[in-house]
Amino acid sequence: MPAMNLVQAIQSALDYKLGDDERVLVFGEDAGLEGGVFRVTQGLQEKYGERRVFDTPLAESVIMGAGLGMAVAGLRPVLEIQFCGFIYPAMNQLVTHVSRMRNRSRGAFTVPLVIRLPYGGGIQALELHSESMEAMLAHIPGLKVVIPSTPYDAKGLLISAIESEDPVLFMEPKKVYRAFRQEVPAEAYRIPLGKASVVQAGTRLTLVAYGAMMRVARQAVELAAKEGLSVELIDLRSIYPLDTETLLESVKKTGRLAVLHEGPTSFGVAAEIIARVNEEALYWLEAPPRRITGFDTIMPLPMGEQHYMPTPERVLYELIQLHNQAE
Amino acid sequence: MLTSYDPLKGKRLQILDESGRIVNHKHLPEWTDEALAEAYRLMLRARVADEKSLQFQRQKRIHTLPVNKGQEAAAVGSALALEASDWMVQSYRELGAVLQKGGTIRNHLLYFKGSEWGSVHPGLPRLLPLSVPIGSQITHAAGIGHAIRYQGGSEVVICYFGDGGTSQGDFHEGLNWAAVFKCPVIFFCTNNQYAISLNRRHQTASATLAQKAVAYGMPGIQVDGNDLLAVHAATRAAAEHARSGQGPVLIEAYTYRMGPHTTADDPSLYRPKEEEEEWAPRDPLIRLRLHLESRELWDSAREDECRAAAIAETDAAMREVDELHETSLDEIFAHQYSDRPAELRRQQAAYEAYLQWKEAR
Amino acid sequence: MAYVFLFPDLGEGLTEGKLLQWYVQEGQLLQEGDLLAKVETDKVVADIPVPRAGRVLRLHGRPEEILLVGHPLVELETGDGTASAAASAPAPAVAAATEPVGGESGPGVVGNIEVATGPDVMPASGEGLAPVATTSDATGGGRVTASPVARRLAKDLGVDLSRLAGSGPQGRVMKADIQRAGQTAASPASASSVPAQVAAPAAGPRGGERTEPLSQLRKTVAARMVQSKFSAPHATTFEEVEVSRLVELRASQRERYEAQGLRLSYMPFICKAVATALRRHPKLNCRLDMERSQVTFHDFVHLGLAVDTPEGLLVPVIRDADTLSIRELALRIADLAERARTRQIRLDELRGGTFTITNYGAIAGIFGAPIINVPESAILGVGRLLDQPVVRQGAVVPGKVLPLSLAVDHRIIDGGDAARFLRELMDLLANPLAMLMD
Repeated sequence: MPAMNLVQAIQSALDYKLGDDERVLVFGEDAGLEGGVFRVTQGLQEKYGERRVFDTPLAESVIMGAGLGMAVAGLRPVLEIQFCGFIYPAMNQLVTHVSRMRNRSRGAFTVPLVIRLPYGGGIQALELHSESMEAMLAHIPGLKVVIPSTPYDAKGLLISAIESEDPVLFMEPKKVYRAFRQEVPAEAYRIPLGKASVVQAGTRLTLVAYGAMMRVARQAVELAAKEGLSVELIDLRSIYPLDTETLLESVKKTGRLAVLHEGPTSFGVAAEIIARVNEEALYWLEAPPRRITGFDTIMPLPMGEQHYMPTPERVLYELIQLHNQAE
Repeated sequence: MLTSYDPLKGKRLQILDESGRIVNHKHLPEWTDEALAEAYRLMLRARVADEKSLQFQRQKRIHTLPVNKGQEAAAVGSALALEASDWMVQSYRELGAVLQKGGTIRNHLLYFKGSEWGSVHPGLPRLLPLSVPIGSQITHAAGIGHAIRYQGGSEVVICYFGDGGTSQGDFHEGLNWAAVFKCPVIFFCTNNQYAISLNRRHQTASATLAQKAVAYGMPGIQVDGNDLLAVHAATRAAAEHARSGQGPVLIEAYTYRMGPHTTADDPSLYRPKEEEEEWAPRDPLIRLRLHLESRELWDSAREDECRAAAIAETDAAMREVDELHETSLDEIFAHQYSDRPAELRRQQAAYEAYLQWKEAR
Repeated sequence: MAYVFLFPDLGEGLTEGKLLQWYVQEGQLLQEGDLLAKVETDKVVADIPVPRAGRVLRLHGRPEEILLVGHPLVELETGDGTASAAASAPAPAVAAATEPVGGESGPGVVGNIEVATGPDVMPASGEGLAPVATTSDATGGGRVTASPVARRLAKDLGVDLSRLAGSGPQGRVMKADIQRAGQTAASPASASSVPAQVAAPAAGPRGGERTEPLSQLRKTVAARMVQSKFSAPHATTFEEVEVSRLVELRASQRERYEAQGLRLSYMPFICKAVATALRRHPKLNCRLDMERSQVTFHDFVHLGLAVDTPEGLLVPVIRDADTLSIRELALRIADLAERARTRQIRLDELRGGTFTITNYGAIAGIFGAPIINVPESAILGVGRLLDQPVVRQGAVVPGKVLPLSLAVDHRIIDGGDAARFLRELMDLLANPLAMLMD
């Protein structure tokens, strides 16, 4: 089986769908000729031609709006917003049309659109290149939001996203674009949207994470194991729909929950998870759940980034607190 | 034609003047007498439906809605220039165009009563719903046009928006995209001189809106928006241009919003009565009627008959809508996604439990 | 010290470049910013300046050679004692970010993208390939469910949740279950998760202090006392009962009991009297539930007897005391008290009481204001048996007086109820034969 990093896995998925379905178009700023600033779409224009894979003017709102038009007219566009922080000019189109065209027209017009979005910090970049606003996006009714953490998952999820009849935000954790490789089948396969994955079974604590934080989580779980703590690690993978069932099952087993993600704490994904766990598994909890996140502050520039991005040591600390809490 | 009326030189296409006389024979559409009378009839239907809608709103049978009065020629004339397979992307003040496309007065009323079903036009897969965020639909039209070109189709897209819409970023982005990719789109700007209370001269420093086309590398033409024939001729030319693969065109239909912005607006606060009186004789229905009468294709008996029929039609539609039931709870959940995620089912069930409790009390 | 300057990503998303020419020689002394080499990339030809001053020790690469980003380009002798900065973090002042943090940098226009260079490859998960047999080890159950407030209560009362059968939905342990269980303190045999620890008193210097942690038992008792005293309004009635006849009765039977190895105290008689009186005055044998606004009257009498142990107060319960004879009561009392003192008593023997008697008089004390044993509604304090003058038929004679202190929960028991019960009890104690006859 070939070994691919996240970039290669995403490319593999796009390659497959471009070959498999004539209706699929791939476009964005610098996505055609150059293959994207992260080289994710590299080689695709050469293989499939400019009609299928192309560069757009520097205009996020029309990238999103035209994507909507194409989807409504029967195509399957896969558009790229170059960096997470640049989705903001396209928010109007996303919220007022992409997310609600199906409901507005009672299903007469649907939007099978995929929005690829490199997101997340830890790369010592300028303002707005390290955003983590999946909670803001997941709060919009009518959208689906998925975040793979591994190359294997990325390929399977992206194929599912492109084949979905709903608009899907496919958020790519750029910090780990090339950080590690995984065996990824050359052929196509699908991972369903809306399902979390229990990456490692454990008995005492449940740790939920996603995106680039999965690597941090894995490291923290290893550290915890050395201290005698058995942690069950869950990769959320899908922010909306959220896989409540898998989470509840784990919490009912361990009784202790910690949720790890980048970005601000308040009104975030961890808050949503904990609310659901409280609603349906309160009586199994032995201690209050813990959120391990960034702060309710603007993302610091590189010289301050190390405080903002959770590290394995910080996660270990939180896990230990969580474990000791009921004692 | 598209290059003969250079907006930068202050040219404006007119075929029928205010008294119904043909002043431009070169671009006269080749219509039968029947077709011309039909066009007038449609405009009258739209006018009546619009007037009655205002009444219905005052009767609280529907909620606040925009008023179309004065823009019938712009809407109907342009729509008549299209094929059935062409796409129509509307803003919210093109009742005449929607009716020409095959939309119904019933749906119009249903939408403004507050049901999503008002946007669902059976058998009309190429008529998009109303677009509330100003100008945002311009980018959709670019995308649809892009898809048509990609698929090698011969359809065109007409995209309606107002003078206010030309100030939005999406106007710029949409026209730019369409021109770069040669999308077959007719960008139809209905310049009715007002964006709610803001007069056109304060909306942009450009002398005309049509000339903005120059910046995007596409043809732009200004037409007399109260002249059905000029509107039609220009739209026809634009459609041919787009269909032949030459890319998009910007048309500015110079007209006047004879009524308020919506039923909740009071124009006396921002425009003088003199101005309204000045525009009254330019009413698109008046000039076309004068023309038809001059050719003995119309008379007051037919006028009365047509008007009565339109009133009856509109009344019947309102009565039908009055009878329709409220949106059901299930409907609220049913159309968010192609499937129904577990959380939505849970929320719906929780709410139903509340309803049962309420019922039992 | 030698400083190794790595071939930087020029900010174009480079992974490699072609060295066109060197501007310097080995051995040459350089200032910071001096041009090192000309390099050609996919997009540009660029000159690379040296970020530090130093003498060139070694140049890596020949003209026309392809160099990899992140690999050594030149080694300098900086001579300032700083450690060789191989692949470490860039000096913050160098804003050009020519040296990526923690590894090579991948393309991205802005920022530093970590690039894996090693041979390690994560195995595939296999999801979505073959039909997956979902091995959901969904035990989910097997764990005790309880609300957070119930868990807190359990912890305070020293009750082990896992030992309780919950009376709530799906077997959930409810507050009431815990309160009932925690009526008496947990013994170590019932294994609350933290065994009671009694620290050996530290030998401190004269005039110093000694601090020891509270035992689990003490903590539990403390919590219960607070809970009782500050939820139930205690109303206490004091009485004296003349028990000469009881004294005689006991004296007459004592030898016979002792011959069987049984010590006969006054307690069996008192218990019998109390149990009998309770059957006739159910108001003092009930349980109040303010949350649900209801009161439960028991059709049985489980008498708790406060026992003083070296570690603290325990209250073993005599079940169905109203059905036992004096003799049986005596046996039960002796057994429970003994096992309580030696901490061999079982948890279930410390639970389920409906009324408590505290015989502080055995040590000292005449009247008292005892604290009700939640969730009961009343408690009887028995004081020291006194030789006192009493008035009988107008004459002052020596008598045997037993002081009684009855504390009731005034939420449910009024003065009249308390008094009537007390009256009944006194009559039984004053005329013990009547108690045995009725």
